[in-house]
Amino acid sequence: MMHCTMDDLLALQAGEASGWARAHVADCAACRAELDTLYKRVAQLKALPALRAPRDRWPAVRAAVLAGRERRRRVWSVGSLAAAAALAGVLLLHPWGTDLEAQLVAAQQRSATLESTLQQVDGDGRVMTGREAMLASALEDRIAVIDGQLAEQQAKEMAALDLWRQRADLMQQLVQVRVTRANYVGL
Amino acid sequence: MTISLTVPDVLVARAKTGDIEALEALYRAFEAPVYNLARRMLRNAEDAEDVLQETFLEVVRSIRQYRGEGHLWGWIRQIAASKALMRIRREQVREAEVFDEATAAGQAGHNVGQALDLERAMQELSETGRAVVWLHDVEGYTHEEIGEMMGKTVSFSKSQLARAHARLRRALGAGTEVG
Repeated sequence: MMHCTMDDLLALQAGEASGWARAHVADCAACRAELDTLYKRVAQLKALPALRAPRDRWPAVRAAVLAGRERRRRVWSVGSLAAAAALAGVLLLHPWGTDLEAQLVAAQQRSATLESTLQQVDGDGRVMTGREAMLASALEDRIAVIDGQLAEQQAKEMAALDLWRQRADLMQQLVQVRVTRANYVGL
Repeated sequence: MTISLTVPDVLVARAKTGDIEALEALYRAFEAPVYNLARRMLRNAEDAEDVLQETFLEVVRSIRQYRGEGHLWGWIRQIAASKALMRIRREQVREAEVFDEATAAGQAGHNVGQALDLERAMQELSETGRAVVWLHDVEGYTHEEIGEMMGKTVSFSKSQLARAHARLRRALGAGTEVG
């Protein structure tokens, strides 16, 4: 005699079973017993005692939060100043203007525009899913790393241009996560 | 374990401004359910503690995006479950799931007919199987939601649940063999 599989039992539990499974379980004592056991097992799982963390992780969370705030404050302000200084240096060295300068300015403007968009989006308090929050935090971390590199780069034009482009691309992805709720941004 | 946690709106509002004391109050309110969720999904306590820490770092970072639609616990739980699943995926890269499954199957087979307690039986499941059982049967996630969180299909979630329950059934020595 053919009995219900575990798939059938779970479907019965979920109220999604096939006609055959519903009819069979009505006639078969063994499968009814299996279904009862499944119900009991799930009830037992729900009744398992709550486990508590053996160590308090709040001090570590607090330290990381405060360190992160300090790092962002330092990096964003120093990074912006250094990047502006680097740009000013480039323009002073080449007052006649070059294609590279134009590209650098364009990359900076794009980054600044996206950053401004992001600040507006942040202000409206949108709800993020866990996945979106993870993507956003990963992108923010990468932007912070680039800001740190920009702060150290000074007036190395090609490197600065590359970093500003990367920064604008990451900022674009961050805006996508926050605004369009994209599930995938290439991470 | 049924979770029914509410925190005052004013506390959430303060946390959104970055008030460290309000953030600590949130941590204290949700520390136990987050750890419990992570511990039930993951094999070892150290990993669960790490998930607890990562979850609250994420909560601190993203609390401004929480608009109060739905229960705060639902939002935090989603972050915690995602963190735990990410850890499981990283583990699977390090040690092939095949080995994990084979080991678990061997242990379960060895214990056929011997009633283990449910907690031990859960520990013998694969990481993925245990996570799916906990998310579906206890936390009430649908297969669609679990599939999405794991980057897998609905069928994957369903088959993992069926395999895990079959293994639990064998480990617990319950009933007659069917199917």
